[in-house]
Amino acid sequence: MPIIQVENVTKEYNLGALHGLKQTLLDTGARLVGKKTPQRPLFKALDDVSFSIEPGEVVGIIGHNGAGKSTLLKMLAKISTPTRGSVKVSGRIAPLIEVGAGFVPDFTGRENVYLNGAILGMPRREIDKKFEEIVDFAEMEEFIDTPVKRYISGMQVKLAFAVATSIESEILIIDEVLAVGDLAFQRKCFDRMEDIIKRQGRTVLLVSHNIRQVVRICGRTILMNHGKIIADGPSAETCDKFYTQSNETILRQAQASHKSRGEVLTSGEVELVSLSLINNHGSVVDTVTSGDDCTIRCTFDVKKPLKNVDVVYGFHTTDFVYISAMGTSDIAGESSLQQGRVTVDCSIKNLPLAPGVYAIRVGVFDNLLTKIFYGENLKVFSVSQRDGSHGKVILHSLINIPSAWNFSPEEG
Amino acid sequence: MLTVAKNLYDYRELMMTLAWKNVALRYKQAYLGIAWAIVKPLMLMLIFTLVRSFVGIDSGSVPYPVLTFAALLLWTFFQEAASEGVTSVVGNTTLIRKIYFPREIFPITSVLTKLVELGINFLIVAALMAWYGILPSIYVIWVPVFIAYAILAALTIAFVGSAINVYYRDVGNALPVLLSLVMYASPVIYPLQLVKDKLVTQQAAGEWSNLYYQLYLLNPLAGLIDNFQNVMLRGLPPDFTTMLPGFVLVLCLLPLSYLYFKRAESYFADVI
Repeated sequence: MPIIQVENVTKEYNLGALHGLKQTLLDTGARLVGKKTPQRPLFKALDDVSFSIEPGEVVGIIGHNGAGKSTLLKMLAKISTPTRGSVKVSGRIAPLIEVGAGFVPDFTGRENVYLNGAILGMPRREIDKKFEEIVDFAEMEEFIDTPVKRYISGMQVKLAFAVATSIESEILIIDEVLAVGDLAFQRKCFDRMEDIIKRQGRTVLLVSHNIRQVVRICGRTILMNHGKIIADGPSAETCDKFYTQSNETILRQAQASHKSRGEVLTSGEVELVSLSLINNHGSVVDTVTSGDDCTIRCTFDVKKPLKNVDVVYGFHTTDFVYISAMGTSDIAGESSLQQGRVTVDCSIKNLPLAPGVYAIRVGVFDNLLTKIFYGENLKVFSVSQRDGSHGKVILHSLINIPSAWNFSPEEG
Repeated sequence: MLTVAKNLYDYRELMMTLAWKNVALRYKQAYLGIAWAIVKPLMLMLIFTLVRSFVGIDSGSVPYPVLTFAALLLWTFFQEAASEGVTSVVGNTTLIRKIYFPREIFPITSVLTKLVELGINFLIVAALMAWYGILPSIYVIWVPVFIAYAILAALTIAFVGSAINVYYRDVGNALPVLLSLVMYASPVIYPLQLVKDKLVTQQAAGEWSNLYYQLYLLNPLAGLIDNFQNVMLRGLPPDFTTMLPGFVLVLCLLPLSYLYFKRAESYFADVI
């Protein structure tokens, strides 16, 4: 028996604004005499979505902005009703759709805990019982009798998260909440989530843009795009598909615009004229093969001679995880830029990047480590799978580290 | 009808908490606190008493200030409960968009909130009665019923008004103005007896007089205020004939108002 059953759900919204009274009256009049009135254009936020979730499943929902994730959650939480189709939920839902929605700034933390608990459907006795635990989790002992309006925003979110996760509901819906608070608190939230999932066996729906988090927490992930479900399955597979999809989009956009899209910081002494990626056959490319040799070639326009500079080339992912920084600091003394056009090549042996889409960043620093030039996302390129390489990619990864394996049975 | 009662019971804690929130919020950071609740009826009572000293309104056996304050007590409750009920859904936009619970909780809660202020004003009435040496009769046992009736009358407006207010905010603005006009069509400044004398006894509007009187009584507050004064101040039993037209009206409109609210409810989050 699934705990959540969504069948052929479609949600349409009218685009544009609500008409004034005059237009409404005119339209009603026109309809009464049988004339057609101009319809406002419809927007399908959800388009024929069906899926079901079994008790105890932990499901992530990912997708670009406007893919329909939040609309779907609103249907599940009964906040909004579908235009067509049906949503069946058997069990109490605790919605963490934007935590702290019911917080009243003038109330103290204590009052807000009770208010928020009641709004989320917790009986007063239950809140009494859990009050200590909530305050303890939120690390709030000294501020609990201070009005919430004096809190910094992080404290509010901590308290709201603590209240919402202490509800004893069968289903927990979480929309982008773990991305708040400092690192230590995020860690704590994460542990609490895992505790809810593993120990209490509740059904959890997590909507997030943080794909790495979804893979970590959820066993199953649904990928949405333009109101439709385009993938539903084990998290690693779905998220891989999502990465591939968004990387393709980024690559396409980067190639279509033909110019460097990155932000560039420069002192004016050095300008970047061109940046190209050259493969092992010596031709300029946008795609290189994983494990092959390649060269990054930059041409600089140097306004005045610079002695002993440090030129750094690096790779980063499209979501700006810095993977590497290849610098010239260990050949100090030989790295001077003459006035005029200078071409600087960096040759890479056996490119260790795993298949995917990456971008190049470039920096030039003087011997006091002052930035003369720095730019990110200067060239977006893709790394393809080496032909004939064994096996498929089982786990998402960024780099391939050369490795040797040895299986030896223990003697005796 | 049963599901309504069940919902009310299931969500009683939430309603109490929200009502407590409304009350607490209103008087936080105010030095006089909840005492502000009595300022409005008290001011009106003083003004009416002053005006009466020029125009002369026959208040029968009961001193005018306490008579008009008793009327104002119910009237202020009704007016503020209805107005706040109407703006309650739009006023809770953030909750409507984020969390589900039966939406009728909002108008009901704002009506219940006003009970607190009603209670405080009751103390003033008691004080005035003591000052003028008026003893309540045994018929005061009807008072809770009258209050319940006032709640239902306020809810009739609050349900349909708050639902329409989601689509057209005009309602929330127009209602307080309209209601303050209705006050003059209610026996607040003058006792009901004067209207009855004019229309029924003297037939002031000719053959239409009796009809006009019944139309006047369609206003639920007309019979309500008069009977409240009867049992509290005049020591008379309630006269249900003055309450009947208004009661029938509320009985017909309340279910319609509630049904309209429930139908509109599922679109609140989309439109608001």
